[in-house]
Amino acid sequence: MNLTQAPQGVRLKIVDISGGEQVCRRLLSLGFHAGDEIERVSQGILRGPLLVKIVRSGCSVAIGRGIAAKILVEVADGPQ
Amino acid sequence: MVPNNAPFVIFIGQPNCGKSTLFNAIAGHKAQTSNFPGTTVKHTHSKVNIGGRVLNIIDLPGTYSLSPADPAEKVALTHLFQETPDLVVNVVDASILGRSLELTLELLEMELPMVVALNMTDLAENKGITVDFQKLSALLGVPVIPTIARRGKGIQELFEATLKCLDGKCFGKHLKWSGDVEEEIQRLGESLPEGFSCVANKRFTAIKMIESGHLFCNEFLEDINPDLKKSLDGVRANLERKRRMPVYEVIAAERHHLSQKIFEESSRVRRGKAIGWQERLDGLIMHPVLGYGILFIVFLSFFFLIFKVGSPLETLLLKPFTGLKAVLAAKLGGGLLFHIADGLLQGIGGGVAIVLPYFIPLLFLMAILEDVGYLARAGFLLDTFMHRIGLHGKSVSPFILGFGCNVPAIVSTRILESRRDRILTSLLIPFIPCSARTTIILALVAFYLGPLWALGFYAANVLLVAVLGRVLSLFMKEASPGLILEIPSLKIPSLKDVFFKIYLQLKSFVLFAWPLFVAGSVILGFIQSLHWDRAINAVLSPLVANVLGLPRELGVTLVFGFLRKELSLLMMLQALGAGYQNLLSVISRDQMIVFTVFVSFFIPCLSTFAILWKESGKKIAFVSAGLSISVAVIVSFLVRLLI
Repeated sequence: MNLTQAPQGVRLKIVDISGGEQVCRRLLSLGFHAGDEIERVSQGILRGPLLVKIVRSGCSVAIGRGIAAKILVEVADGPQ
Repeated sequence: MVPNNAPFVIFIGQPNCGKSTLFNAIAGHKAQTSNFPGTTVKHTHSKVNIGGRVLNIIDLPGTYSLSPADPAEKVALTHLFQETPDLVVNVVDASILGRSLELTLELLEMELPMVVALNMTDLAENKGITVDFQKLSALLGVPVIPTIARRGKGIQELFEATLKCLDGKCFGKHLKWSGDVEEEIQRLGESLPEGFSCVANKRFTAIKMIESGHLFCNEFLEDINPDLKKSLDGVRANLERKRRMPVYEVIAAERHHLSQKIFEESSRVRRGKAIGWQERLDGLIMHPVLGYGILFIVFLSFFFLIFKVGSPLETLLLKPFTGLKAVLAAKLGGGLLFHIADGLLQGIGGGVAIVLPYFIPLLFLMAILEDVGYLARAGFLLDTFMHRIGLHGKSVSPFILGFGCNVPAIVSTRILESRRDRILTSLLIPFIPCSARTTIILALVAFYLGPLWALGFYAANVLLVAVLGRVLSLFMKEASPGLILEIPSLKIPSLKDVFFKIYLQLKSFVLFAWPLFVAGSVILGFIQSLHWDRAINAVLSPLVANVLGLPRELGVTLVFGFLRKELSLLMMLQALGAGYQNLLSVISRDQMIVFTVFVSFFIPCLSTFAILWKESGKKIAFVSAGLSISVAVIVSFLVRLLI
């Protein structure tokens, strides 16, 4: 599933980041790498952007839905 | 650049890691700071004397990596690559060390002498992260100095390390990547002919050639060295096949893993401890429902606070000036001298009594909002609405800056990645009421007609920007790439920083805007005494009197409005020959509204026009001017019909 379909408040593991090189590079430099864990924290109203926390560094990043749809994730197993 | 032989020291780091705060702590306050990634969009240069040695220090825009994505980041890289600094001070946010080190690793690859300033160690401690800076220094091979720039901690130690490294040259370690990737890089590096290193050294050149298909030295490679091109393509293909991902991702993953490893080896993270108030407060501010309520309350109280502070002060300060005017009239009669003295008085009085009572509280509240870190959060909340007007949340920051002054707002569009977004945002910014216009709106509209009128004007203004954005984005077919915006941690603003920011802005008002205003008023007085204003008014009368239904005497103020929009409004009194007390006897409430609307939009002020020209080109500057004039005429005519 992609990030827009993922549940909120659960640890998610990034499986892959699709999309163009520009967007990918931007996400990589902000700390979104395949294998890393992230969590959806909040979202804007009216299909607004997603607020995503990178579990390991604790950084928060706001991501528009168009871009979030390019981040493929699965629910992370292990202790929550 | 200053021609001298003092060594160049550059400050570089990821966005919002506190480079500018650190720079200010060293250079005395010079650079703008705030808690929003991308506040610095151009370099700030300063000469400082440290321990008897003169250094050129340069504060650069933040960059996440050495592969630039937006124009502000490109500024950083130009300095780094072309000017070969004598020392790099890499500022690192200790609270997100793992990610910040990725840039550090890239800088190490460049083999420049370097000192790491491990900043925001207090914030890291709050998050439960303790960094062993000595261990980190051993791992990287360069000095690591813990600092808290906001409180001036660690600055002295940083000075000492800087001086030591300038003499002793602190080069970092060669940190190796995974075997197979390292092998490919070395192979390519060794096959580079002598003197080919287009950036820094052979290994770094090889990495950049592999990582980026669009690097400048790759583009001509086919022609100048076909063999090298072949081996480069071979290396790229090999890596992609082995790792099953695009080659730039392979390199990024290598740096990512290495920096995570260094982070884990040098830091202790206590788990389970929540960050307390920050996290709870963030939960409220960014809440999908409550967040919008809070946003609304923040802006409403922003507005009313400024008005409540400003209007009693205005009343108080206007009194002596009104009295003085009567004295002048009695003493000087109605001749040339009176008109010039009156102009002088209007100019000085307008500044003291009308602008300052609102301007200072506005700057104060703006600075607090910026430093707390609310702007990025507003960007997140407003992204949805920005999409409706063809933009996204990252443009919120230039827009909000625009409420301060349009000029830095247009410069700050450099944080946007795509040209389409930059142009669209730059075209909309001149319609945002800047602090000078807000002051006038508060001092004239709210003061004479009541705060609700001013608030209504503001709401209508925001609506206008939205409609305009929607219309303009119809002409810009290319889709916006979408929002990726880092949300910085909430911070308690330091009063010192806040006061300093107010000082910086007031200084530029007193040195630049006020003299212009006084001069404008004196010139208007002069023109009036010679009755030249009648000619100008006659020319503009079809527009001013016929279309807008205003007293034709106001025509002359529009000429001055091109210098600064608020001049037109401030000079209204002088042009009408009215005092502060009897203004409403010469102009009706409706006329005042129509005039305010027209003046607010009718043309970008001279500095805005100049910066538009510089940032986006002549065409955009003229498009913007044309757009402003047509919008002003149409909207104020509509307002005239409606009220």
